[in-house]
Amino acid sequence: MKVLVARSGDEYFACQAVCPHQDVALCEGLFDGTVLTCHQHLWQWDIRSGAPRGLAEAPLECYTVEVDGDSIYIASPGALYVGELFSGIAEKTLAEINALARREEFTQGGTLYNVGDPAEDFFVLESGRVEFLIGRDDRTSPAGFMLRKGEVFGWAALLDSQPSRIAKATCLEHSTLLRINGREALKVLESDPASGYVVMRRLSSLIARYLASSGAR
Amino acid sequence: MKIQVNAKNRAYQFTAEGGQRILYAGLATGIKLPYECGSGTCGTCKARLVGGRIDDTWPEAPGRKYLKQPGEFLMCQSVACGDCSLEVPNFVYNMDPGACVPAICRGTVARPRLLARDVMAFSVELPVARDFDAGQFMVMRVPGVAGYRGYSMVNFERSAKKLDFVVKKKSGGGVSDWLFNGNVDGEQVELFGPLGSATFFPNLTRNILCIAGGSGIAGMMSILERACQEHYFDQYHGYVFFGVRSMKDAFYLEELSRYRSVFPQKLHVNVALSDEDVPAGAAQRYPQLAFDAGLVHEVAARHMKGRYQNIRAYLAGPPPAVDAAIRVLLLEARLTTDNIRYDKFS
Repeated sequence: MKVLVARSGDEYFACQAVCPHQDVALCEGLFDGTVLTCHQHLWQWDIRSGAPRGLAEAPLECYTVEVDGDSIYIASPGALYVGELFSGIAEKTLAEINALARREEFTQGGTLYNVGDPAEDFFVLESGRVEFLIGRDDRTSPAGFMLRKGEVFGWAALLDSQPSRIAKATCLEHSTLLRINGREALKVLESDPASGYVVMRRLSSLIARYLASSGAR
Repeated sequence: MKIQVNAKNRAYQFTAEGGQRILYAGLATGIKLPYECGSGTCGTCKARLVGGRIDDTWPEAPGRKYLKQPGEFLMCQSVACGDCSLEVPNFVYNMDPGACVPAICRGTVARPRLLARDVMAFSVELPVARDFDAGQFMVMRVPGVAGYRGYSMVNFERSAKKLDFVVKKKSGGGVSDWLFNGNVDGEQVELFGPLGSATFFPNLTRNILCIAGGSGIAGMMSILERACQEHYFDQYHGYVFFGVRSMKDAFYLEELSRYRSVFPQKLHVNVALSDEDVPAGAAQRYPQLAFDAGLVHEVAARHMKGRYQNIRAYLAGPPPAVDAAIRVLLLEARLTTDNIRYDKFS
């Protein structure tokens, strides 16, 4: 694993060393103390949280840093803390959602859900690769894929009406996922409307990115 | 051949003809596949082969250094051998209505002419009129040289039946050798385009800053032509910084003077000389232009201090010059990244 360590004044930050866009080395980028810019296509992130800025279409995986004398210790946070959907919300709320998460492992070819299944849970990818197919039987067509730690899918479970699944989700390789019940997560968010608002804003832009055409972005 | 592209958000199908580059086939269908240079150097069009077989037409392409995983390839350099499916780790959308959808076309070279000691201008006359946006480029294939190279259009007009280009002499450069070592007047070339997103539209409502090194001025000339046609500089400022090594290497100074004479209030043009002091007489010869000694990004940084409000920047030229300009614009000028436009060619 390659890690980029950046220093701003007396503070140290750590994040993934390659850009999540094109695997470009981020140590060749620009850093102004808060914002890290990949020199290749100018994707930017707040290095304190990994939150994308400007042109970036994906968050940066940031690590927790502890400095002890001459040593710097770096720890990789859980998938829930890396993903775009929950980054920056209140720590207590995030811990409550984390408590709802069940870690599940799927073998290659394992199906998470089928078209028409009830959408009760949403998923956060920890490792592996999930692909989506729309249509039925032999008339199916690919509808995207997930391969980055922290990516969220099955978000129909977070909608009030909980519409049934519109795609089939299959693990293309051995995958680890966090399964979270949608209604339970919504209850937690209702108890902290400020965090809930942030999550709903993120969710709506996430949905728009998948459904919208470029002109509507 | 049927090509299927699985993107982050959805799948696309299109057909490619034998020998046609996968990237070009997809773009010609109106699918906004990821790319920047379209000619094998930037690595932006990388994809992963999921099924079928492809042929790599340029295994030494510099952009291959961005390929990391097995099965990855450059769409701009690959042709399909039969039906293929591939995966692109990007969100991919259809082109917006009104976009100039790229297409293959052939043209005839006309009026090759030396503009400076190692800069050649030439036109390509087209049998069928084409539209492009100001700041776009074409990839071109010339007789006897393998592969396509990108060149920005210098002119701007709708339904263009003629495209103007400039090429800088580069020893060992295929197209450059073809152009400088023989009479190419009347030769047939193949073009694919228009390409590129460093485009200018008059509804921008921002002041524009152009920083160009050498032949990178080409796309800026197209932007200036369009802006002047629309009287853009009645309302908005235009700051143009054109970097060359010495006065002997400078070109388009008459054209730049003419633009400035029409909009003397708001259009500013500085020529930056990197390898010599400003010769006596330069200012008398070109009274409309300002001259400075120094690298173009340094000269721009010096003059632009305090003038970065409401700016859209366009950059072009040798990669080190573009990188240096990006650094200035992000770290000193604090421009947002959506207001820094360039097409990466390295």
